[in-house]
Amino acid sequence: MKSTSRYSLARPSRRHWLGYLLLAPAVLLIALIIVYPLLVSLDLSFQNVGIPRLGQTRRPFTTVNYERLFASAEFWNACWVTFKLVVIVTFLCSLLGLATALLVNNKFKGRSLARLFVALPWAIPEVIAVVIFAWIFDSSFGLMNWLLVSLGLSDQMINWFSDPQAAFAVVCAVMIWKGYPFVSIMALAGLQSIPEDFYHAARVDGAGPWQRLVHITLPCLMPVLGVTMVLVMLWVFRDFSIIYVLTGGGPLKATQTLSIMTYEHAFGFFKMGYASAVGIVTLVVCIIASRLLIGRRAESIY
Amino acid sequence: MKARRIDRVLLYGTVVLTCAMLLFPVYWLFITAISPPDTLRSFPPRLWPEIAQWQTFATVTGQRPIGLWLWNSTIAALGAVAISMAVSVFAGYSLSRFRVRGGNSLGLFILTAKMLPATLLVIPLFGIFRSVDMIGSLWSIILAHSTLIVPFTTWMLKGYFDTIPRELEQAAMVDGCSPLGALFRVILPVATPGLAATALYGFVLSWSDYAYARTFLTNAQTNWTANLGITTMKGEYITDWNEISAASILVALPIIVIYLFLERYLVGGLTAGAEK
Repeated sequence: MKSTSRYSLARPSRRHWLGYLLLAPAVLLIALIIVYPLLVSLDLSFQNVGIPRLGQTRRPFTTVNYERLFASAEFWNACWVTFKLVVIVTFLCSLLGLATALLVNNKFKGRSLARLFVALPWAIPEVIAVVIFAWIFDSSFGLMNWLLVSLGLSDQMINWFSDPQAAFAVVCAVMIWKGYPFVSIMALAGLQSIPEDFYHAARVDGAGPWQRLVHITLPCLMPVLGVTMVLVMLWVFRDFSIIYVLTGGGPLKATQTLSIMTYEHAFGFFKMGYASAVGIVTLVVCIIASRLLIGRRAESIY
Repeated sequence: MKARRIDRVLLYGTVVLTCAMLLFPVYWLFITAISPPDTLRSFPPRLWPEIAQWQTFATVTGQRPIGLWLWNSTIAALGAVAISMAVSVFAGYSLSRFRVRGGNSLGLFILTAKMLPATLLVIPLFGIFRSVDMIGSLWSIILAHSTLIVPFTTWMLKGYFDTIPRELEQAAMVDGCSPLGALFRVILPVATPGLAATALYGFVLSWSDYAYARTFLTNAQTNWTANLGITTMKGEYITDWNEISAASILVALPIIVIYLFLERYLVGGLTAGAEK
């Protein structure tokens, strides 16, 4: 039968060599630049190794990296800093993103321009955002110190980057400014998919603006918003450039997240075995956290 | 009627005020770049300089090879996007149209790959590139950025292909097209907006990277990307805010322009998954 040997799209369940062939280049590339390096770092995390070289004889298997890791105060401090940062930044990003999305979802002239402007920080590279905020929070001539002093909120110039709490606050500020537009963009897309009829019906029933927000908008937006929040959390969890360029993890490790700690040990102290262990733990926490938060729906949302 | 008008005014007022506050940092970057250096070191700060000093841009491009940095960033981004698109167009199509053994687990793996911290992957990649003597070359960055881009582009393109009805290919094949011919002559032309959005998104991902550039290129000044170059202008104690602001504007401008004119495509890519 000639027709059965022909490729048929009418029956999508049909396995076909072409499907494999088309997938092959991607699988090869992913294996080469993602899976293989990942296995290398897993392997490194079980060796007591400084700077590895391929083809070098493998160091003996050891769990000393993990033992040292879980016993070190630095690691638990990094966990705590990461946790604080993730919670604060995700919460405020969501709030600001949702508020701006609701604002520009109103019907008014020029709203497409307003939408463009409201999410503009998304297009500013992280490193540039750091430059801007480092200058605004400059300890001698920064705008923020001038503002705080002239408003009488502070009686002296704050040295933002040598005070642990102040530095943490600046990191939060940059990340919120960089992160809220993503929530705004996603929430706006979600808002536009809510049927107008819901609002008409609610108006007929006499619901005020606040009731419409609480009983229609927010529940309809929840699925999109939930996923968006998880993506923001993952971003904060893994981010490197903002913190590294802004504070380098200091002062006194007050802004040292797990990502920064990984990098410091790998390329500051050249203890790559130990650093890989930190990185592997970070990855495992990321995967577990996101699975717990979005569960089985994970596939449908990305 | 009057209440209506007050509502309008309030709404416009809120919108303008919100935009002004949120975009103030960008405005301040611009003002800092064109202010004379001595006004930056005086209180109160001037929200608008009396004399705009445009030559800061000329000075900074004369002192730092910003053109070269931008060129390197562009080459790295184009290279990474080209590699990523070349493999993920086919992979996305395959995942969308065929049922392949292991296809589901591959999809799941790609999702997980998006969660990989760059700080973890950078360690083995450093070891690998060192062994093959690629540290310091733009190829290291192109490959490293592909690790960021491929998972995104494959998944995004699968999403786009899912929205294109199968009847299109079927019609083409009834007319005598081979399966590959149908992909190239029918599906890809229809998917052009999707392809553009995906490529653009990949470009932005690559352009924004700092971690890989910092690790692989620090000792190769002629290959510095724009982001890496900018951070070398930021001193631990003393920074010339005038010049770093001007340089930052030049570096941020390409992405801002892309965003302002092609926002629809970028946002389309971002939210493709959200509306399901």
